[in-house]
Amino acid sequence: MATAEPLLEIRALCKRFPARAGREHPPWVIRDLTFSVAEREFLTIVGPSGAGKSTLLNMLAQIETASGGEVRFQSQPIALDDPKALSPGLACRIGYVTQEDNLLPWRTMLQNVLFPLAVQGRLTPETRARAETLIRTVGLAGFEHHYPHELSGGMRKRAALIRTLVYDPPVILMDEPFGALDAQTRTQLQQDLHQLWIGGRKTIVFVTHDIAEAIALGDRTLVLSPPPAHVAGEHVIDIPHPRDIRAIMTHPAFAGLYERIRAQVH
Amino acid sequence: MTLQQPALDRAAPTGIGWQRHAIVLGRIGFAALLVLAWKIGADAAGPLYLADPIKVGQRIAADLASGALIRHAYVTLRLAAIGFAIGCTAGVALPFLLRRLPRLTAAIEPYIMASVGIPKYALVPLFILWFGIDDAPKLWLVGLLVFYVVFIAVFAGIRSVDRRLIDMARVVGASEAAISREVIWNSLMPFFFAALKIALPRAVSAAIIGEFLVGNEGLGYMIESARQNFDTTGVFAGIVAATTLVLVVNAMLTALDRRINAWRPADRDTQV
Repeated sequence: MATAEPLLEIRALCKRFPARAGREHPPWVIRDLTFSVAEREFLTIVGPSGAGKSTLLNMLAQIETASGGEVRFQSQPIALDDPKALSPGLACRIGYVTQEDNLLPWRTMLQNVLFPLAVQGRLTPETRARAETLIRTVGLAGFEHHYPHELSGGMRKRAALIRTLVYDPPVILMDEPFGALDAQTRTQLQQDLHQLWIGGRKTIVFVTHDIAEAIALGDRTLVLSPPPAHVAGEHVIDIPHPRDIRAIMTHPAFAGLYERIRAQVH
Repeated sequence: MTLQQPALDRAAPTGIGWQRHAIVLGRIGFAALLVLAWKIGADAAGPLYLADPIKVGQRIAADLASGALIRHAYVTLRLAAIGFAIGCTAGVALPFLLRRLPRLTAAIEPYIMASVGIPKYALVPLFILWFGIDDAPKLWLVGLLVFYVVFIAVFAGIRSVDRRLIDMARVVGASEAAISREVIWNSLMPFFFAALKIALPRAVSAAIIGEFLVGNEGLGYMIESARQNFDTTGVFAGIVAATTLVLVVNAMLTALDRRINAWRPADRDTQV
């Protein structure tokens, strides 16, 4: 078997939020969304704001229910409709780097990074060493004992990123993790993430509203329509790895991809 | 010379040093003014209504020397501490239990909130009727007063915990018990300490009031028996001793709060 089943399959996924008392039923956020993610793929998803990108990732991370459709992970269907049946992070196999860093304010940076290992009972000298390596890789060495409020926004993002990497989930969902950063930090973190992905080859689903970012990082880019969201376009990013993120815009394929994707984002 | 990280730089800017001294001096001066006003008032009103501060000081010194004051203070402190421990444990445990039972919570919440309105001191006669005249009725009074303060703060605190932190903890594999212990408990700390700042002095007050009514030892008994003997100096000595007790308990609590909640940025900025 050369071509295995896709790692993650999303079929006809739908979502609308429950109606509040005395109000009309809110409209569909996501309607008939179908796509799949291959193992070790870096999939980027772009779409206008309010297109339900975060809601999609929340459903895949199993912290929010779906209103219809099906999701299969490693060919196994996963429960979607009952909040009690949800299994957030599906037994630590799906990591989630959210838009906000969600660091625990009473824990130092190092304690935050070690938090998943601690609650999973996997705090060993080896995993600690791995955490220290990651901290050095993203340039946070020397800030281990700082509290989150003592770190800059970029540092907090990096801490949140390696908090997910440290326990090595095979799939990582990322929700505009570099959204609120200045251009320079952003490019640096994109390069770091690209390097980490080349080295570890995880499966990444990366949501962004920035088309250039989607092209720079992705193997493939999906374009979501305005709500109710469905797939409006799919683009294979034919730029070889490893890439130089800083110079990505000068690549001959970039301009054409950018134009085609932009034409689909409303 | 090494430069500190700006974020960690908590050294006061120049000019704050003498201001701090001025504040301390001001406090001492204000205390002296209060004692002076007390002395003038005592001389004007007569010893039956306002005890002379010097005599009160002498009485406290004498009671300390005889060991009576320490004994009474210990009785009150013990009563307040046990009642506080019971009320505080129940006040923390019940909201955590109710968190797991949302339907039950929704059903009984109005009754809990209505019971907050019952004046607890008015229940003392009932407690005496039910539990006798030993420590039990006093412990019920202290425990109930502490329980409500802690319960309401912790209950509100649990509801205000950032959902996103709980979701994050779930995704990285934290069990419900780990989430309670780590995310909810730590998020609660500011609420919990705000409650303790009210509940601890209240526990001491409730113990003293309980002793007014029942029993023959403790600071409350000391004050009340002095009043019955028209010993105003004794009443004042008891009030000063009770106030000191509350201040000591508060100082210990503040020190604990600073230690445990050191991560909170707001605390650091507002410390004088």
